[in-house]
Amino acid sequence: MLNALAHFERAKPHLSGDVEARAQALQQAELLGLPTRRVEAWHYTDLPRLLNRASSPSGALTGNDFSALKPHYLVFENGQLSTDAAQLSAEFVAPEADLSADAMTLYNHALAENGVTLNFDNSPETIVVIETKGSETQHFMHRVKLGAGVKATVVDDHAALGYSNVIWHVELAADAQLTLVHIQQSGQYVGHCTANLAANAQFKQMTLLTGGDVARHATHVKLQQAGAKADLHSAILGRAVSHNDVTYTIEHQAADTHSHTTSHQALADAARGVFQGKVIVQRDAQRVDAQMQARAMMLSSEAEINAKPELEIYADDVACAHGTAIGEIDADALFFLRARGIDEASARQLLITGFVEQLLTHCDDKALADVLRRHIEQKISALTLTKLEADHAV
Amino acid sequence: MSALLEISNLQAGIGDKAILKGLDLTIQAGEVHAIMGPNGSGKSTLSYVLSGKDGYDITGGSMQFDGHDLADLQAEERAIAGLFLAFQYPLEIPGVTNMTFLKTALNAVRRGRGEDEMDAASFLRLAREKSRALGMDDDMLKRQLNVGFSGGEKKRNEILQMAMLEPKLAILDETDSGLDIDALKIVAEGVNAQRSPERGMLVITHYQRLLDFIKPDVVHVMANGRIVRSGGPELALELEKSGYADYRGNEAAHA
Ligand SMILES: Nc1ncnc2c1ncn2[C@@H]1O[C@H](COP(=O)(O)OP(=O)(O)O)[C@@H](O)[C@H]1O
Ligand SMILES: [Mg+2]
Repeated sequence: MLNALAHFERAKPHLSGDVEARAQALQQAELLGLPTRRVEAWHYTDLPRLLNRASSPSGALTGNDFSALKPHYLVFENGQLSTDAAQLSAEFVAPEADLSADAMTLYNHALAENGVTLNFDNSPETIVVIETKGSETQHFMHRVKLGAGVKATVVDDHAALGYSNVIWHVELAADAQLTLVHIQQSGQYVGHCTANLAANAQFKQMTLLTGGDVARHATHVKLQQAGAKADLHSAILGRAVSHNDVTYTIEHQAADTHSHTTSHQALADAARGVFQGKVIVQRDAQRVDAQMQARAMMLSSEAEINAKPELEIYADDVACAHGTAIGEIDADALFFLRARGIDEASARQLLITGFVEQLLTHCDDKALADVLRRHIEQKISALTLTKLEADHAV
Repeated sequence: MSALLEISNLQAGIGDKAILKGLDLTIQAGEVHAIMGPNGSGKSTLSYVLSGKDGYDITGGSMQFDGHDLADLQAEERAIAGLFLAFQYPLEIPGVTNMTFLKTALNAVRRGRGEDEMDAASFLRLAREKSRALGMDDDMLKRQLNVGFSGGEKKRNEILQMAMLEPKLAILDETDSGLDIDALKIVAEGVNAQRSPERGMLVITHYQRLLDFIKPDVVHVMANGRIVRSGGPELALELEKSGYADYRGNEAAHA
């Protein structure tokens, strides 16, 4: 469990920005405390309890190999940048403490000692990989701002073993297109991403969670002008006692805005999955198209899923739909594969892989899809599947 | 020479429901048999029980296939032994490409048969050749298995799997259903190309039409879980004229 005060004292000499304001933010954060189930947005994720039982870090992990994408690499180890951000002019800008914020934001405002600031005004298409590793507590504040018509891809490749509190701020000007990828394979990651989209901007987020004790990935998108589009997709391979929470809030603030949200959660062992998705369509936001689909594949009788899609619609001319599908591995599909000579264990593996890899159907960049596919397949092959006790009836 | 498939007095059902009620059928290598019969007579159940689908209670009789007692074999072992079922309703498997599926299946079967796995390049060549012969677009290999395929594409894809896996006995369960005449011809050609003195086929169909293109050696009529009549190809033509009314009556009498 993180001891924020001690952490602050240790970090203080290196903290940039208004350190006094940061100390106040910390005080306020400690008053509120880490969010528990009593906080509505955290209803299924009792953070203090989860962090308490999290395993202590051991071993070391590295991120994925993105070299085929020829990206700019930024590597953080235990909060410190170990590569050169100057090449990208991506230096950290300290957060300004906002005392009215929620506890997790306040902790971040107090303690963030690093992060990336990407300001692409009229750059050619850029790919940035931010790899995080190490075993200490880390707080990051990342900012991504794209000017009109600019395209970029940012990958958050999380292989750190300890606790991380990460904030993402995304600002997309008209016609800008950002692909933001999160891969979490370890540790306790508590992330919050806000994205504001101007006219015809496109924000595509792909979140892949394959390991660690605690994964909380919350995203709040505001589609502020006509034509803006959010594509939010997540895939989870939950193992052991991992807790995997994807939480989306999508605000359609303007007419002719679109959002498409999918989540595929394959949950093994005693893993837990959470899907919260809230679509809000404001009064004048006509002709909005918002689709949301959450699916879970339960691979063990001890796994658990909580799915809560919500629509709040104040406009009348909209096409909004949401659906939730929770099931086991399909017995007929399993038989189909076995009838082609594929043994039961491999057939299960193929079906789980196919389920999780539906994330990739939203990825247009082939090189990126290949990295994600390799990651998924490696994690699935490491999965030892406990067969369900209840055998499948025909 | 012993038969390729010998089913005697097979009785099987699900829970309390008896579906196969003493079925006898013998197929020699090189022969094509057709089973016709009204809906609900147990044709698909027979195909599933032969291929080893879970959930059926086998309450009596025996199934011998090419020296194996099928009851001893798992579904995948039956496929490796050379049994193939072209499904009446092929399954859609999202996220798994047709290519990955075919390669995984082919190599599983080859390993099981004591052959070397096929390398990626040879596999691709073979899959392209066989799919083109069935008039399939190369694109269909890259698509997710059966997802968004039309009825005809799914059936063609079943025949492609058969061509790749080279079974000793192929069971085609209503491969003709949902096909227009052109698609039917292509599928039938694909099947005929695979007829050989070593290979047996069991063609299950509701309509005589398919048998104009795949000429059977023996035609059986199935009703109420049993083979009630067997004959030559002329039996199919007779059924075309008279329909299944006689056999349905039979079924009702038993119900
Ligand atoms: N899973 C099942 N559970 C219960 N009854 C079944 C099941 N599958 C088939 N049946 C019944 O078994 C009988 C034979 O079905 P089927 O083998 O599909 O016939 P056919 O293929 O000849 O149309 C029908 O009465 C059908 O309702
Ligand atoms: Mg049938």
